[in-house]
Amino acid sequence: MTASLTPLPVRRPTRAPHRRRPTRRRSLAGYLFLVPALALIAVFTLVPFVEAILLSFQSWDGVSTDTPWVGLANFDAAFRNAPFWASMKNVLIFGVVGFVVGNGISMIMALAVHSVRKGRTFFRTVYYLPSVLSVVVVGMVFSAMLAPESGIINHMLGAVGLGGLEHDWLNDPDVALLAVIGVFLWLHWGFGFILFLAGLQDIPQYLYEAAELDGARGWTKFRYVTWPQLAPVTSIVSLLTLLAALQIFGTVQVLTNGGPGYSTMVPTLQIYTQAFTYNNYGLAAAMSVIFGGALVLLSIVQLGVSRRRASA
Amino acid sequence: MTTTIHVPEQAHLDVPHADPVRRKKPIRPAKAGLYALLVAAAISALFPIVWMLSGSLQSLHQLLKGDTLIPVVPQWGNYLTAWIEGNLAVYLTNSMIYTLAAVIGILLVSSLAGYALARISFKGKGIFTGLILAVMIIPAPAMFLAQYKVLLALDLANTRQGYVLILITSGIPISTLIMRSFFASQPLDLEEAASLDGASAMRTFFSVMLPLARPGLAAVAVIQAFAVWNEYLMALVIFNDNSLMPVQRGLTSFVSAETPQPQILLAATMISIVPVIIFYLIAQRQIVDGISAGAVK
Repeated sequence: MTASLTPLPVRRPTRAPHRRRPTRRRSLAGYLFLVPALALIAVFTLVPFVEAILLSFQSWDGVSTDTPWVGLANFDAAFRNAPFWASMKNVLIFGVVGFVVGNGISMIMALAVHSVRKGRTFFRTVYYLPSVLSVVVVGMVFSAMLAPESGIINHMLGAVGLGGLEHDWLNDPDVALLAVIGVFLWLHWGFGFILFLAGLQDIPQYLYEAAELDGARGWTKFRYVTWPQLAPVTSIVSLLTLLAALQIFGTVQVLTNGGPGYSTMVPTLQIYTQAFTYNNYGLAAAMSVIFGGALVLLSIVQLGVSRRRASA
Repeated sequence: MTTTIHVPEQAHLDVPHADPVRRKKPIRPAKAGLYALLVAAAISALFPIVWMLSGSLQSLHQLLKGDTLIPVVPQWGNYLTAWIEGNLAVYLTNSMIYTLAAVIGILLVSSLAGYALARISFKGKGIFTGLILAVMIIPAPAMFLAQYKVLLALDLANTRQGYVLILITSGIPISTLIMRSFFASQPLDLEEAASLDGASAMRTFFSVMLPLARPGLAAVAVIQAFAVWNEYLMALVIFNDNSLMPVQRGLTSFVSAETPQPQILLAATMISIVPVIIFYLIAQRQIVDGISAGAVK
């Protein structure tokens, strides 16, 4: 492009009169550039979004072209559906634990890696590694590890004298949810970790130097420099972790399929099961409207809060 | 990653001047504790993967006893069995096709859109930007069912095209925003020069701006490649024909249809992550860039 840069000063005056017309042409170009994206979003996101809402007032078996309107019957059924509410309760636990423990681990490990000089790249690589594995792979490996007789987890507990803690992890209603949450945390904490680490590296060094001049040490420096500087990252990581926890599906499906009973059932799996196992597409749509609506609200509230905080 | 190396060096240089005596002694046990934590976390992150490798090389008998990490006699045959019984050649090929097609589609569509939103002034730009942001808030659980219904209506359920279109669509919003901020940070001169030379917007985009955007494209491509390769929910919903399934869906189908022995399943799982691990080690930088760019938007 350097070649075309050279004649610029000469050409500018001769071309100048034409410059107005291209703006309209460029405006058209703007739309043309956007068309593929908008078309795909319209057909595969906006239409389904509306369709889901419509479907929640209809009855559909997944095959027939006949989808009669049934008013609020699906919502009525959804509200009286015990597994659905069990799944909402479980996913709330997922959300809270993911939010507190998951973000906690991510942040502590980012602080730890940030404070050492040697091996940073190695630790970063290793910590993020679980995050590039699929939920199916992770589910299958942990199914085998958590197996009651042959699983390595029980063997290790026995070996260190904690045999009393051995469980049939995925089939015992008392611990199944705990086990699945543990797997989720293992899979997911590296994501927040990467973002926290990048956030820590962006905090200007002079802030720490100024704080040190004022006599700040470890905790005080964290409290008055690191924490507030990291706040924007913390709020986005929190939201993303929370949303990931609330939308959990594959991990649960592979590990327990929601069982035993409904003790690890989560909404996305319940929606899937109602639709594709029981062919109650209308009921499933009502559940997805209730649950999806709650997620949308949550995102809006969280984004609003963090935006207000940012502008304050 | 230059900043990674820079900041701590400065920190270290400053410490002796600021506080030469107090720093040196008490730091030792704390540092040992810190490294213990780091190593423990590294072991816990790696252990399941090491265990998967170990289990995939054991005999059924040994695996069920579960008392060793080192296979007495490595059963390489497990991998052959897994490859054949698990139909992995088909599933892996499908995953490659979907990943390649979807990533190319995402790059093309979202760089066009991102460029328009960053650099072309036209009416309604704010609305379109808002729309793309808003779409990101709609979660998968609210949509996957109706997406299936739309695919059925378009005769695209249980087809490669349908799956790739869904994959592209879900990658568009975040990728468009990343590309938009990437284009917005480029200098104006080249583009102006090209338009003064009479190049059309399309030509300017493809021959001037797109080559400049290579780092942005790379970050988007890497992040989306992982997302597509690991996608499971829509693959589960869309496909019932085994010959079309990507590897994630194929693995669960293998389990439910054949109930393979655990060591064979572990070998199949291990095979499925080989491309992922290799790609991860090669493309690390882009991953960090891409995740950060995506989250900040």
